[in-house]
Amino acid sequence: MTDLTAAALVLTVLLPAASALVVGAWVLLGDERPSERVTRNVIGAGLAGSLLAGLVVLAGFSGLAGAPVHGDVSYGDWLRIGDFYIPAVLRLDGISVTLSLFCASLTPLVARFSRTYLHKEPGFVRFFTLLGLFATGTQLVALAGALELFFAGWELIGISSAFFIGFFHERDEPVRSSVRAFATYRLADAGLLIATVATFELLGSARFSAFQGAADLPPSEATFLALLFLLSAMGKSAQLPFSGWLPRAMEGPTPSSALFYGAVSIHAGLFLLLRAWPILEPSLAARAVGVAVGLVTAVYAAAVVRVHTDAKGALAHATLAQVGLILAEICLGWTTLALAHLVCHALLRLGQYLRAPNTIHDTHRFGHAAHAPSRLERWSPRLAARLYAAALHRLRLDDRIDAAFGPVLAAARRLDRADRWLRRTATFDGEPS
Amino acid sequence: MTPEALLPAAPWETLAVCLLLFVAPLAAVDERPRAAWLALLAGTIVVALFATSGVVAYAAVATAALVHAWLALPKSRTGAATLAVSAALAVGAGAAAARHELTTAFALSTAAIALRAGLPPVHLGVASLCERAPLVQLQQLASTIALVFVHLRFVDHDPAVAGHAVLLVRYGAFAALAAALVTLVQRDLRGFYRSTTVMHGALLIAGLGAATRGNFAAALLVAVTVGLALGGLAMLIASLEARVGPVSLAGPGGRAGAFPRLAAAFACFGGAGVGLPGTAGFVADDLLLHTLWAESPAGAVAVILATALLAVATLIVFARTFLGRTVASPAPDLRPRERAVAALLLAALVALGLAPGVLLGPADGFLDPPPVSAAR
Repeated sequence: MTDLTAAALVLTVLLPAASALVVGAWVLLGDERPSERVTRNVIGAGLAGSLLAGLVVLAGFSGLAGAPVHGDVSYGDWLRIGDFYIPAVLRLDGISVTLSLFCASLTPLVARFSRTYLHKEPGFVRFFTLLGLFATGTQLVALAGALELFFAGWELIGISSAFFIGFFHERDEPVRSSVRAFATYRLADAGLLIATVATFELLGSARFSAFQGAADLPPSEATFLALLFLLSAMGKSAQLPFSGWLPRAMEGPTPSSALFYGAVSIHAGLFLLLRAWPILEPSLAARAVGVAVGLVTAVYAAAVVRVHTDAKGALAHATLAQVGLILAEICLGWTTLALAHLVCHALLRLGQYLRAPNTIHDTHRFGHAAHAPSRLERWSPRLAARLYAAALHRLRLDDRIDAAFGPVLAAARRLDRADRWLRRTATFDGEPS
Repeated sequence: MTPEALLPAAPWETLAVCLLLFVAPLAAVDERPRAAWLALLAGTIVVALFATSGVVAYAAVATAALVHAWLALPKSRTGAATLAVSAALAVGAGAAAARHELTTAFALSTAAIALRAGLPPVHLGVASLCERAPLVQLQQLASTIALVFVHLRFVDHDPAVAGHAVLLVRYGAFAALAAALVTLVQRDLRGFYRSTTVMHGALLIAGLGAATRGNFAAALLVAVTVGLALGGLAMLIASLEARVGPVSLAGPGGRAGAFPRLAAAFACFGGAGVGLPGTAGFVADDLLLHTLWAESPAGAVAVILATALLAVATLIVFARTFLGRTVASPAPDLRPRERAVAALLLAALVALGLAPGVLLGPADGFLDPPPVSAAR
């Protein structure tokens, strides 16, 4: 059973990637683009295969046919040069199996929903190819046994997310939103990348199984690592101050919004913290920061959701409020509760997102609920108005982040001017070609 | 050394990548150089990679640089002059290595690579080649891989130069960060290609700094990845400009509708250049960061930020080139020949990403331990 489980583990990750690769190669090399039918069948086969393999993994993990398989399943080294190595290792434990099966079940469901939803859309093939990439990313994140593999999956989720947001690229706003989301991801991901390298240096291995050694690290080093993981999780899960990209991400097609920002991607940061819990646990400072960020984000999102006027935007902030609470739960040490909260919340939101296009229909049918003044409005209308304006403008988060990056762009322009001057004065090619 | 002893460990994989970069893009575009030049370039690369003498190897890469300079001369005098200077430095490095003056050889060889890779502020030649003779730039990237290989094999083992590793690492890392910032504010596609090339050149120098302590693999993999990813980008930019003329980044270009395959291939090569998982870029970045961290954590952080900024810049450039309201074009999308070449380069990037040991394993056997006697 061990060999079968090990093979199934790899297939869970690789089948969606292979299906996306087949469609991608077809697009690049074929004379005609693949039809909707071919695309959905190839990607669907990859996703279904991944789900089947996931069930075999569950059987192996549960010990249904022999001794249960737990812990690291090693496939040798991805790369080994001297003392440095990147292990090809997947991990089987309660958290990884739960998330893997969860993602492997939801992605084919969303693919089935999208067959009808995106029928005859010009980007149908692109959507399904990206879905295959996304499924690979989620399985890598769920099952990776070392940070390098985890980061590979993390990046695939980020890249596919950015392309989904810019899916309707003929309009300017989705493209701008896509770039903003990707920029936030990449800058927050810098934290995870630094953490990956630093973990290898400090613990001698980037395997998750080596994280137990973090208990022996000096407090400052453990806190440093924990804060880096937290930073990365905050970016991926849109916690303050990185929340600005989430409502913009609603520019994408509804099925991808449901999968990414209702179910899987938005919770990936929380999963990272659950994985890195042995490092987070001894660092009280990092945990305190996490609790504060989670609770403040929850309050902020709850305020914004009350004034939001579009269905998906309101859902995004409702999701954010719960994600903030789950972050606080993890950092308080209630990891089992957090995992259960995460899964239940993701299922609820997935259904709500997929139903979001019906909201307009429902509103026309049932009408708006009458607005009764709240206690705050009765007690202090001025304060209520101020809070209303702040929530309506989402604390002007995007403007503040733009302002913070203003000096960086100014420095870039100065460097560019210096470079142009140098090329103008120190070359002898004549006028530009 | 007998042929039997040499062949099993010989750098066939490195040679294959170099030859692929020489030939593949030329097969894709209409510009046809003379077969004699191509044969000469290929011959110099074979000699450079397989020679057991440092003098011969450096002479071979110097010859390749002079061929590139000759080909570049009609379009880019600055680029040609830079390549000629690089050739002279390579000859000097070979001569110094033969006299066992490894510190001098290291300095000359590093300077030659810096000129070829486009390390700021000596990037003017490469910048000019990127703008005026992109195909020559692409070919010289291939022979730069050979130059890096020769450098790693013959001159980077001197304990005396290891003391300067931190300096090179930090300079390369912060130059990469500056170049990545410049990439963010480019106004046309050639400018993006130019600054991306400069950024990767700086990364390569940082990798070479770390290689002085025996961590050669990062430098070699970065050189190969840069060659393949930038080679693919150069080919696609040439293809796009042949269809629509110079590409401005002032606003949305809307070309994805007319050139969907070109857009998809551009996204893949751009991604490979910034460490897209599944490609050689991902492994190269990871390996480089671990190597740099050992020398200078600040340098490693600078490289991480540089890569993040370059990734954002690449997405912006992709968006402004291909996304937006569809603009019709009478020109065709990528032709079968161009598609085949793009697929070949992508396949090489993916193969090296999934199994980097294919390249680094044989190179490991060839470069380690250092062939002290071979420097003669």
